[in-house]
Amino acid sequence: MNPEPFLQLDRVIHEKGRLAIMSMLAASAELSFTELRDALEMTDGNLTSHMRTLQEAGYVAVAKSYENNRPLTTCSLTAAGKKAFANYVDLLEQVLQQAKGK
Amino acid sequence: METNWVAEHLQVIRTLMERSALYRRALAPIMLFVGALGLVTGAAGTILRLNTIRAYGCLWLGTAVVAVVDAFLIARRQALTAHEPFWSSPTRRVTQALLPPLTGGLLLSAVLTFSPSAIDFGFLVPVIWILFYGCALHAAGFFMQRGIRLFGWVFIAGACVLLGCVACSRDAFSIHSHLLMGFFFGVLHVAYGVYLYLTENRKNAA
Repeated sequence: MNPEPFLQLDRVIHEKGRLAIMSMLAASAELSFTELRDALEMTDGNLTSHMRTLQEAGYVAVAKSYENNRPLTTCSLTAAGKKAFANYVDLLEQVLQQAKGK
Repeated sequence: METNWVAEHLQVIRTLMERSALYRRALAPIMLFVGALGLVTGAAGTILRLNTIRAYGCLWLGTAVVAVVDAFLIARRQALTAHEPFWSSPTRRVTQALLPPLTGGLLLSAVLTFSPSAIDFGFLVPVIWILFYGCALHAAGFFMQRGIRLFGWVFIAGACVLLGCVACSRDAFSIHSHLLMGFFFGVLHVAYGVYLYLTENRKNAA
């Protein structure tokens, strides 16, 4: 098997928690912090930590606003995040295709 | 070994993406429309004294058909306005969740309404509709925002209370069945529609 695709996997996305966040955000225009936390059954601290890493990589944008006088934090993928996620999934699929071709 | 890991990884991604794609179209117009229709039908049934089981069943079954068709038309118009596909994955899953309880309720009530034993059991029809409708909302709520499941529970709890009332006074129950339906399918929907109208995020997507 060609090890090249494995070596190209994005380390930021490859971590289990961050991959889950990226997957959720890839299917939705935006999700609130609470929706993400509840869906992924993460603690506030854990999710905040992963979000910070993804923000630093430029993959996720976080917006703070108010809804019904309550603070609302919404998260969405940036263009770079969408591209990185698509590349990541493509690489995984390449590995599968290679294995099937053998 | 490695390919197993990759396949599992892709499956996890797929599952999470599906779970994330919630139905997010604005529900306020649908709730308000269904509520208004319920109020009009409840009032019409009471004023016109459509108290035979068959007249009652036909009136409310017809109303249900109109409500379902119009709800889909409103959702379709929202999708077209937003330049998005109407029959999206969340819409499909919400429909799939709604169908079994609604079909079950429809079949059971049709049997109770049109069978020879309709006289004996027709009074149960409103309770069955309220109960199955609550179950349908609860099932669809897994693919929608959280409030819908709670709204479904209101119907289920209401149906349980009504079943207790049936045991106490069956006659009073039969006489007020239009008002009962008007309350559950009219008043409650209008109230929830107004609440959604005031609180719902204006941006919507399915």
